[in-house]
Amino acid sequence: MDVVLSENQTLLQQATRRFVDQEHPVLATRKLAEAGSAFAASSWQACAAQGWIGLFVPAEHGGMAEDAEGVIDAAIVAEELGRQVFAGPFASNAVVAFAIANAGSEVQRATHLPGLVSGETQAAWCFAGTGAQDGLGPDALTVSGNAISGAAGFVENGASADLLLVSARDGIGLSQFLIPADHPGITIEPLRSLDLGRGYATVRFDSVEVDRSALLGDEEAASAQFERQLQLALVLQCAETIGLIDRAFEFTLEWVRQRHAFGRPIGSFQALKHRLADHTAEFEAAKAAVAYAAKAVQNRSSDAAIAVSIAKSQCGKQGVEIVRDCVQMHGGVGLTWEHDLHFYLRRAVANQSLLGTPAMHHERIALLAGIEGDTP
Amino acid sequence: MNLTVSATENHVTTEDRDTEDERAFRLKAREWMHGKLPPRIVGQPFMDWEDKDLIEADRRTQRVLWDGGLAGITVPKEYGGLGLTRRHETVFGEEAMPYRLAWHLGNNYNIVIPVFLGHASEEQKRHYIPKMLNGEHIWAQMTSEPSGGSDLFGLITRAEKRGDTWFLNGSKIWTTGGEDSDIGLCLARTDPSLPKHQGLTMFIVDMHQPGMTVRPLTLVNGTRDFCQEFLDDVEVPLENVVGEVNGGWAVASTQLASERAATSRGWFIGAGASLPREQIEIPTAPVKLAQELGLAETQRARQIVGEVIALQALRELVAQRAGKGIDAGTLPPTTGGVASLANSTLNQRASELMTELAGPCGVTGPAEGGEPEQGIDRVWLFRIGGGTAEMLRNTISERHLGLPREPLPGKDVPFNQLRTNATQGS
Repeated sequence: MDVVLSENQTLLQQATRRFVDQEHPVLATRKLAEAGSAFAASSWQACAAQGWIGLFVPAEHGGMAEDAEGVIDAAIVAEELGRQVFAGPFASNAVVAFAIANAGSEVQRATHLPGLVSGETQAAWCFAGTGAQDGLGPDALTVSGNAISGAAGFVENGASADLLLVSARDGIGLSQFLIPADHPGITIEPLRSLDLGRGYATVRFDSVEVDRSALLGDEEAASAQFERQLQLALVLQCAETIGLIDRAFEFTLEWVRQRHAFGRPIGSFQALKHRLADHTAEFEAAKAAVAYAAKAVQNRSSDAAIAVSIAKSQCGKQGVEIVRDCVQMHGGVGLTWEHDLHFYLRRAVANQSLLGTPAMHHERIALLAGIEGDTP
Repeated sequence: MNLTVSATENHVTTEDRDTEDERAFRLKAREWMHGKLPPRIVGQPFMDWEDKDLIEADRRTQRVLWDGGLAGITVPKEYGGLGLTRRHETVFGEEAMPYRLAWHLGNNYNIVIPVFLGHASEEQKRHYIPKMLNGEHIWAQMTSEPSGGSDLFGLITRAEKRGDTWFLNGSKIWTTGGEDSDIGLCLARTDPSLPKHQGLTMFIVDMHQPGMTVRPLTLVNGTRDFCQEFLDDVEVPLENVVGEVNGGWAVASTQLASERAATSRGWFIGAGASLPREQIEIPTAPVKLAQELGLAETQRARQIVGEVIALQALRELVAQRAGKGIDAGTLPPTTGGVASLANSTLNQRASELMTELAGPCGVTGPAEGGEPEQGIDRVWLFRIGGGTAEMLRNTISERHLGLPREPLPGKDVPFNQLRTNATQGS
């Protein structure tokens, strides 16, 4: 995160690191993956008790938004979670709580926020389609009359969610809805995942009838609200990538110092040293971009949209590039199931590919910078 | 080379943090500079050693600052400076934003003053520093040699003492502004029977004395900012040694450290590079080029444009982060080198992408002479100039990451027994 943190933020960072190291180290992610189990609901409640979701929620609904810089603070948490390839549903719940806190009616806030803060309710956000070019826009679902139809792809935490935030297009614009996951007409299909610590689902909507009470926020404001949610999701994804690069890089440095070949530590060979120097430089740029993006989104700066895409460009590409080279520098041992590196690489690839690939974000940056032509 | 002045909108000042004393200094600077200094012109190069009028204007600017009691802000008073703090320097930089400062004199304040304060004799400091501050002298650094740039301390220019005079023979290269400089710091080998780091001495050398030939070098882009010097029995009096005889390594280390520090905080004082901005600057050139070439509708062109914008923004962000973290003490000072490497790498990628965007038009026009040509320049500027990227990678991996050093077989061997580019084949 930023190189200068407030006292509260430093405390949050330290407390989160301690908690995750003790309760949810990468070993825990490995055990879940080996057992083929999902992250337990009770475990998530214990995580939520750390106050992670409450960062976005006002005190009257159980949170502490008044004492937090929600986006920046959540990014601090996400970075710590990334260091251990945390398997729990942080981002999905955070984004939905953020959306409800920002745009929800009094009834919606009172109904949903306390459960999200305590972790008793779990949520997921359905918006993107199921294709190779999907992930960035609300392109999956349409609403016609009172009925929502379509298939939302890559829904993080979809299989465990009680509550769905649904972004759907109608003839004119965008609408967002809050719908229980067990609502008639909704089918949730869990997907196998490259990232062994995170589950995704396809959520199908077969003429799902909703009434106006399910609408989240004004329809006129829905597009801007969607963009805010997307920005938060990207900040959390990128911050998590920072954490996982940081940790993978730490144990790679340790490895090249200890591992000897030809009578020397392998970390004394320029072939490795120069690559590590390059990764350090690219990583520093990634950290700078994420810190800037978190601040821009937190402050609703006019350049927040472009800032998150710049962060995604650098984190997406470098996350994979650096962690892949960490595997390479480990040699054979990096290819074994027993080594933790593959959990990091899997998450790095997932984070590069979801919520828009770097190439998709590059196009988005060009459009935001005013390149003329049809917007896709 | 081709680094130009950018717009200053969006810069924030730190006026609200001023103490009473800083406020008084700010107002004094503001009042004195108003109407006396040339304006800052967007797009003008910081330095252009072929523009003799600009060089003279910079000397005059330095004189105006001296006359107004604004030169040498952090330099001790006994050497003509003001004896104030870094914070006063920041205040001055903010007030100087509308003006062009004496950027051709960068060596004076970035390099030579720190070297003098650390190593020069009292007489040298009293004699030379005021002339650095009042614009009378422009200093050059004569460090690299044709026989080798990265292996700086393997240099072979000889200094021999005959009677009360040192005689220098050899050649120096990559001397920025050598032709228009008055005096130079020149590192030479005084004892080749010592190991290479130990037999060096730093000299103060008049750039226009008998025996000294200064010749500008023409680079690939046609610029002539760098020079090569040929030293043929150049006479240097004994009192022109800086530091100890055979102690030049220590002086040169300060010189290099000052260069690194100046580069990371912004070489051109008052240029704004290190000032925090409210928002990142979005470059307009990539969008313009894509539209001029009729590629705005093409997905690949848009992706390139967006990536170039991201890369340019990242250069600024990483520099700001390093500066802020180093100042706050949360990042080690070696992060400056990390930011430099990031800057060169990101810039290189951006240049390659712009070349791809222009395609054949980058060869023959309409984009010719635009970004792709700068791509050729930038290899020089960011990956070779000021120390190659490879040397920087060594420094980062060893000093920032703490990895083991390369074995240096020649470290303790007398220099005259080492194989160098001067002894090759013999």
